[in-house]
Amino acid sequence: MKIKRVFAILALLLVLSCVSISEVSAHRLVIDREIGEIGVKAYFEGAGPCQDANVKVYDEEGNLYIEGVTDDNGYFGFPPKIGMEEYTVAVDAVHMPGHKAETVINLSQASVGAGAGSAGGIEMPLYTRIIAGFGYIIGLAGAAMAYVGWKLNKKYKGR
Amino acid sequence: MHISDGVLSAPVLAAGWIITAVFIALAIRWSKKKGIEVEVIPKLSVMTAVFFVVCLVHIPIGPTCVHFILAGLLGIILGILAYPAIFIGLVLQAFLFQFGGITTIGINTVNVGIPALIAYVIFQRGMKLELLSSRREFSAGVLGAIAGGLSVFLVAVFTAGALIASGEKFTGVAVAIVGAHIPVMIIEAIVVGFIITFLVRVKPEVIGSLGCDKK
Repeated sequence: MKIKRVFAILALLLVLSCVSISEVSAHRLVIDREIGEIGVKAYFEGAGPCQDANVKVYDEEGNLYIEGVTDDNGYFGFPPKIGMEEYTVAVDAVHMPGHKAETVINLSQASVGAGAGSAGGIEMPLYTRIIAGFGYIIGLAGAAMAYVGWKLNKKYKGR
Repeated sequence: MHISDGVLSAPVLAAGWIITAVFIALAIRWSKKKGIEVEVIPKLSVMTAVFFVVCLVHIPIGPTCVHFILAGLLGIILGILAYPAIFIGLVLQAFLFQFGGITTIGINTVNVGIPALIAYVIFQRGMKLELLSSRREFSAGVLGAIAGGLSVFLVAVFTAGALIASGEKFTGVAVAIVGAHIPVMIIEAIVVGFIITFLVRVKPEVIGSLGCDKK
C-alpha cells in the first residue's frame, strides 16, 4: 500500500515537472492588444473642472467622430480611430454658457506621449501673466502721461 | 463675463464692436472737452488694474464658476472713462489669459461697460437728489451697494441677452447666468458699498469721473 502511494506521488511529480519544463522551455510571449483612449480634461483656469460639458470630437476631415459629456472631473475619453492621427476636440460648457474651447490633438506629435496636450496656447504661470498685465497697464499709463505732458508743454510754450 | 470665440453670431459680434467703438470715441471726446487732467491717468490705470485682477478671483458654486467683476465700482469712480478702462482690461485678459475670445472683446466690453455706466448714472443721480438721506456717507454707501449689485445683475442680463440673440435657448441661459451671479451680486454690493463709504469719508474727490465733480 505504502509503496503504491509513493509511486503515485512520484508519478504525479514527474507529470508536474514535465508540464513545468515545457512551460519553462517554451515561454510563449503573448501580446494582448489594447488601444487605450485619448483623454481630454476640461477645466476653468485657476478654478475647478468643467463638468457636464458637451464634447465633440472631429476627425481630420472635419466630420463629427464622437460626442459626449465630461464627467465630474471634467474628463472625457474616447478611443482613437485606426489610421486617424489628428482630432479636433471642442468643449462647450453647459453650466457656463458662452465658454467654449477647442484644441487639436495630433497623435504623431511628441506631446501626446507625455499625456499633456496643450489647450489653447502656451501655459504661463498665473502670476507671470498678472505681472505682464500690470506691465502693459503701466506702459499705457506712461504713454498717456507722456502724451498729456507733451500737450501741456506745447500749450505753455505757445504762450 | 467672458464669452469665447465661436459662440456668438456675426451680427452680435459686429454690433458689439460698433457700440464699443462709439462709446470709446465718446469717452475720448468727452475727456478732451473737459481737458484731461494728469491725475486722472493714474486713477484710470489703477482701476483698470483692479478690474484686470479681480476677474481672477473665482468663486466655485456647484458646477459653475463665477468671478468678481466690480463693474459698478469702476463706473462710480471713473464715470464714462470706465468704458475704455474695461476695454483695456478685457483686451489684456483676452491676450494674456485667453479669457474670452478676441472677436468677442467688443461685445464683452458692452456687457460689462454699459452696466458700469448705468451704475455711475444711478450713483450720481442718487447723490445729487439726496434720495436716501442727507447724510452723505450713509447714502453714498447705500447707493454704492445698490449700484454695485445692480451692475452685476445687468452684466449677467446683458451677457445672457447676447447669447440669446445668437440663438441659445432662453431659459437655460438666463437661469444659468443670472442664477450663478446672485452670490456675486450680494458680495459685490457689500464690497462696493464699503469701498464707496470709505472713499467718501477719506477722499471724496476720487469719486466722479474726472475728479472735478464738485459737491
